[in-house]
Amino acid sequence: MSACAHRDDAGSYVLRALPDEDHERFEAHLATCEGCRREVADLQMAADTLPLAAVQVGPPPELRDRIMAVVRSEAELLSAAGERAGEPDADPAPAARTPRPRRRGLRWPVLSLRPLAAALAAGVLVAAGVVGGVVLSGGGDTSTVTGTVQIASAPDARASLQLSDDATKLEVRKMPPPPSGKVYQVWLKRPNRDPAPTTALFRVDANGSADVEIQRGRLKGVDQVLVTAEPDGGSMAPTSDPVIVASTA
Amino acid sequence: MAFAQLADEDLMQLVRRGDAQAFEVVYDRHSTAAFSLAYRMTGTRNTAEDVVQEAFLSLWRSGARYDRTRGSVRTWVLGIVHNRAIDALRRSMVHDRRRASDEGIEERFEARERTDVEAARRDEARDVRQALGTLPAEQCKVIELAYFGGFTHSEIASMLDTPIGTVKGRMRLGLEKLRGQLGGLAEVMS
Repeated sequence: MSACAHRDDAGSYVLRALPDEDHERFEAHLATCEGCRREVADLQMAADTLPLAAVQVGPPPELRDRIMAVVRSEAELLSAAGERAGEPDADPAPAARTPRPRRRGLRWPVLSLRPLAAALAAGVLVAAGVVGGVVLSGGGDTSTVTGTVQIASAPDARASLQLSDDATKLEVRKMPPPPSGKVYQVWLKRPNRDPAPTTALFRVDANGSADVEIQRGRLKGVDQVLVTAEPDGGSMAPTSDPVIVASTA
Repeated sequence: MAFAQLADEDLMQLVRRGDAQAFEVVYDRHSTAAFSLAYRMTGTRNTAEDVVQEAFLSLWRSGARYDRTRGSVRTWVLGIVHNRAIDALRRSMVHDRRRASDEGIEERFEARERTDVEAARRDEARDVRQALGTLPAEQCKVIELAYFGGFTHSEIASMLDTPIGTVKGRMRLGLEKLRGQLGGLAEVMS
């Protein structure tokens, strides 16, 4: 039993009744207080039974259909992305010829289903005709490629690729959210091939920012990284013009 | 593979590898409990549907985060739903129209085709409701306002015109009593 001054917070904590800032403070406290950890573990068991008190009401079948449509679409996309990732690169390194192991776990970017309030009106995503300069910078193991954002209504939007041996990442800033019901999807373009889908689907936060890991390790044989706006769950082939183009070759 | 024969924990291993069929079975097993919790909390079917959709897609995309040593899949799913519903409530600040009316609702438990499972669920629900009913009214009230209403302890203190410290104490004492009364069930759930 905890004799700690924070003991009474344990009940509020497991019920999620602490305001956000207090919640974080108490979590930090838990890391150092054995008594409160025990208290939380005990009370959590009681809190976990509370959902059973709700009258049981079945969800509508349409909800199941909607969820499964997204899940099947993403499973198909994941499968395709995994197969494409195994395709030989234009200039494969010896290690790249070895079939890659199946991915150990899904690493979907966290997506919100609710479109952000300021959804773009349809048709806003048009090529701005900006000639993109590619800037390669950085030394050692990491380099940065500046991409071109082709959204006429967002002249301040920025995109860059971070390339290193550990991972290839896309950073966007001041990007508008994708149109309602859509999500941004990253594509990898190899010479003389159609863009290959990736599982990197993302939305942006309220500041228009997102940091997206495209894949572990460096890109191989890819000359362009593209981003398009696609229906929730992503697509197997682009359904709209790219809103970001970053040339890596 | 007969997915329906697999335990939740085994299904989650497949979900983690992107198996949509395994996910479908997890959904079928827990969607009624998830929807019921979301509906009780948000009070509207549309919001409850949004919450359940967000929660299950989050589960699909982050299956790797499930850790069987920290509880059952059911508890994990309901925890996600609870958090999402609270987020929705606090975003919308719609605290007055959320009360779901239980009147006219035909209670439905999962697995109607399996009467043993359905009977067990009914027994569990009865036990929890009875245990809540035996708590002192002021303890039951703060627990319900916090857990199902999504209110913070300071909001509850203001609503009940009671010091925050008293509200916190009632929450803890009420949960301790609940834990004592439900004993085995609480351990099974967690």
